Amino acid sequence: MSQYLDGRPMPSPSRLRFLAFGLAVVLATGALSARLFAIQLSGSTPYTALAAGARTVVEALPSTRGLIFDRNGAPLVANTASYSVKVRPSDLPESRRAEVVGKLAALVGADPADINVAIDTNPGSRYDSVRVAQDVAPEVAGFIAESGQDLPGVEVAVETRRNYELGPLFSQVLGYTGPVSGAELPDLKAGGYLPDDLLGRAGVEATYESVLRGQYGLQTVERDAAGRQVQVLRTDQSPVAGSSLKLTLDVREQQLAEKAIKWGINAAGLKRGVVIVMNPQNGEILALVSLPTYDDNVFSEGISRKEYTALLNNPEKPLVNHAISDQYPPGSTYKLVAGTGVLADGKITASSRIRTAGYLQLGGFKFRDWNGRGFGLCNIYCGFGHSSDTFFYQAAAMLGIDRHGYWGKQYGFGAATGIDLPAEASGVVPTNQWKLNTLGLPIYPGEVYLAGIGQGYVAVTPMQLLNAYAALANGGTLYKPHVVGEVIGADGIATKVEPEVIGEVAASDSVLRIMRRAGRNMVVLRHTWNLVDLPIVIAGKTGTAQFGTPDHRGVLPFHSWFAGFVPKDPYKHASDPNGWKAVERTDSELAVLVLAYDSGTLGNAATEIAKYYFQLHFDIKKDYRNFNLLKRGNFYGRR
Amino acid sequence: MSILTARSARPDRWTASRVSVVWRAFDLQLTTYAALLLCFGLAMAYSNTATAGLGIFDGRSVFLRALMWTAIALAVFLVATSFDYHWLKTFAWPLYLVQLGLLAVTLAIGGGVGGTSRWVSILGLQFQFSELAKVLMIVVLANYLGSRVGRLGSLWSMVGAGILAGPPFLLVMMQPDLGTALVFGSILVATLFMSGASLRWLGILATSAVAAFPFVWTYVLADYQKARLTAFLNPLADIQGTGYQLYQAQIAVGSGGWFGKGLTNGTQNALGLLPVQETDFVFAILAEELGFIGAIVVFVLFVALLWRVLVAGWRSKDPFGTIFACGVAAMLLFQLFVNVGMVIGIMPITGIPLPFISHGGASLISIALALGILQSINIRQGRAAW
Repeated sequence: MSQYLDGRPMPSPSRLRFLAFGLAVVLATGALSARLFAIQLSGSTPYTALAAGARTVVEALPSTRGLIFDRNGAPLVANTASYSVKVRPSDLPESRRAEVVGKLAALVGADPADINVAIDTNPGSRYDSVRVAQDVAPEVAGFIAESGQDLPGVEVAVETRRNYELGPLFSQVLGYTGPVSGAELPDLKAGGYLPDDLLGRAGVEATYESVLRGQYGLQTVERDAAGRQVQVLRTDQSPVAGSSLKLTLDVREQQLAEKAIKWGINAAGLKRGVVIVMNPQNGEILALVSLPTYDDNVFSEGISRKEYTALLNNPEKPLVNHAISDQYPPGSTYKLVAGTGVLADGKITASSRIRTAGYLQLGGFKFRDWNGRGFGLCNIYCGFGHSSDTFFYQAAAMLGIDRHGYWGKQYGFGAATGIDLPAEASGVVPTNQWKLNTLGLPIYPGEVYLAGIGQGYVAVTPMQLLNAYAALANGGTLYKPHVVGEVIGADGIATKVEPEVIGEVAASDSVLRIMRRAGRNMVVLRHTWNLVDLPIVIAGKTGTAQFGTPDHRGVLPFHSWFAGFVPKDPYKHASDPNGWKAVERTDSELAVLVLAYDSGTLGNAATEIAKYYFQLHFDIKKDYRNFNLLKRGNFYGRR
Repeated sequence: MSILTARSARPDRWTASRVSVVWRAFDLQLTTYAALLLCFGLAMAYSNTATAGLGIFDGRSVFLRALMWTAIALAVFLVATSFDYHWLKTFAWPLYLVQLGLLAVTLAIGGGVGGTSRWVSILGLQFQFSELAKVLMIVVLANYLGSRVGRLGSLWSMVGAGILAGPPFLLVMMQPDLGTALVFGSILVATLFMSGASLRWLGILATSAVAAFPFVWTYVLADYQKARLTAFLNPLADIQGTGYQLYQAQIAVGSGGWFGKGLTNGTQNALGLLPVQETDFVFAILAEELGFIGAIVVFVLFVALLWRVLVAGWRSKDPFGTIFACGVAAMLLFQLFVNVGMVIGIMPITGIPLPFISHGGASLISIALALGILQSINIRQGRAAW
């Protein structure tokens, strides 16, 4: 140690402290190196995998969904490009969620609650984006796309939106697409569905989902670590566009049917109405109207929870296709079953006469005829033509409930028709076994009577009822009703949907001929007022069916039905003024069903609606409608 | 009042020596290591410029600005080397006032992100005076402690140094810039320790600092500062928020591997995922593009540089030189450890630049100044004595 001149030791820096500092340098850089090694090379931290995995991703490349046309090729659905707003929950900091959702809601004009619900019910993981708004205006989409800093986790995507050209007119047939739900996703994933995919939810969009969807392709994209797509690197598998559909429905027929039922609904104050038009020769549906309905564009534009709840809570169920998904008592239209049955089983012949009366006494109950007096001695033409209840009480009793049920099933009742629309009801044909199975009791004799006139346990869908009358019109063949006529592949090759026979009514041609003449007799007898005056030959059956609970006067509400058909050459000829010969033929290509739900009117509202449809369809200039019959009143009794 | 005592610089001796003899003491190694580190910095600036799709001589080019700052830094280094450092002792007290003035000006008219005031715009360039203040702090402390040789073990030396360091520390905290304030702290502790302060008192100081931490946490630190301090514990907790930079940085580092993706090939760099990627988080890009090997080379250069700095301090017969060198070493080591440690997730996020490599004129010029003074000390040792 050096010293000052006076001998004091010169202070000097401490060697130990320098060594300590050097050690600190080595330790510090050593620690940094060790940590760096762990991150970069050892793979012991998740970042190596994250860094590698976050780069390229193989993801689905959506295919173009098939289009839908009417039978003449008029477009019913188009795909239009639109902007969707999506949120990737993992990129949305929880601390900023309320603020971001609030801003977003204001921008897209949605309820913040809807956006929150969408995010929370996201079927995928937090790293999958969830659609929170559809069909956003381009300027709003542009603004959102540029506001990355203010709206973290929010993305704008260009998607094709289903544009339903005619909106509510075809909504019950076309349906709509909607997002995949969390419960469905595990099953759908195997089919290549993505968490934010849309799939058919109703109508042919649902039944033909796999056909319309096509085949998704695969592409490799580069994504940044935040999950945003940087670039598409390659297409691994090209998508195959979905097939298009050509419906059997005709825009014009649909418009006419809708016009007729809308008039009826307004004039008679109905709550619901159904019109179905079918070609009995092949089961093609030409028109199908179920009111009230909805606009399927509301769904493709992104329905708000409020709107959806309103649709769900509407007591008239606009989302339900009443033509196939609801079942109602068929009333007198069901007399076709007992009538065919007693003739085919040889219980009576066409000339056998049965005594009708004001009522039949059974135990302590009176089973009344609708006119309170009966029609005297009546054969099948008289009984069916006047719609005599006491006639068909006895006819059903002759058959017994099981044989009556057998004939009901011959006409296709009690089983879904298999129409290519979702959510079809199967109806009820009561038999002893059915009642034992469902209620644990045998059928009572009074219930046999009621089944004969289509009341009691009997329940049918409008589609089943129409199909039964179509079978009557074509000579006994039950076709599977269908709304899709052709499937046109992405390659342009069309495959026709062939008519499919689902049953033959096991009654002889002569029995069916008798029933057709009986149906014509109902018109000729003016049971349907002036329907006979139309220049065309119409045969069929009206019906009135009570349902529900009695009102304050003890009167039950009721529906009115009309089911009928016209021969191929529908016009009256001098040689056959009443059309008896025309209805003997089995060449009808037009069968019509009308259901006027809860029609508390003076006359049969359904018949007037059907008449208006016929006038429109055949372009009959003279107007035969009876406006006074559609006034509110108690029509109960006239069947 | 020894800090006011000016020692004469005796330039006559300086002029009397032959230039070749004087420059023999110039530490070429130190300069070389610094230059190599600077090359890494320029490489990162180039990578940043290239991946941003800018031409090298584009007006917005980070590389062009880095070249400009390098030129200025070189000039500062040479001037500082030529300048007799003894004058610093003479002007230590005015320099302290200059330091406080710079920090006060920054507070008064400075700009910054989100309500902070961290830099002052000079000729359209943002200049962070607090970087310069660090070097001035070292000068002031080295002068003060060097003047108290023989009494350095007393508590009063520590208190005096603390009083000197206090106002700049507080001014920086008010910007607020926690990171730079911590650099001041590290300089204070290192200069005290290396000048021979009592270990007992240092121990007591350290213990009381730890004891005061809960109080500081509750009453001094702002919420965002706390969030940044804790984010490194679990960067995945809030990826888009406070953990975002850290998460992205670690992905970048993790994807580097042994040799990296090559300069300008870093995806994290190209995607612009890293906020402040050319400044505070530049090491993430470096590790991604140059890999583990590249990062280790940088560490080795830093160790070598620190070795030369400490050697300069050890050899200095002037206590000022020794303490100054230790202060510079402490500043460089602390910034290296905290900056890299932040990027690789072992230190909290603070806005401390990585010496030489982070883009920023003030940082580079301050380091050039410090190393220039150090070379001046190397050249001119032997006249004062411990």
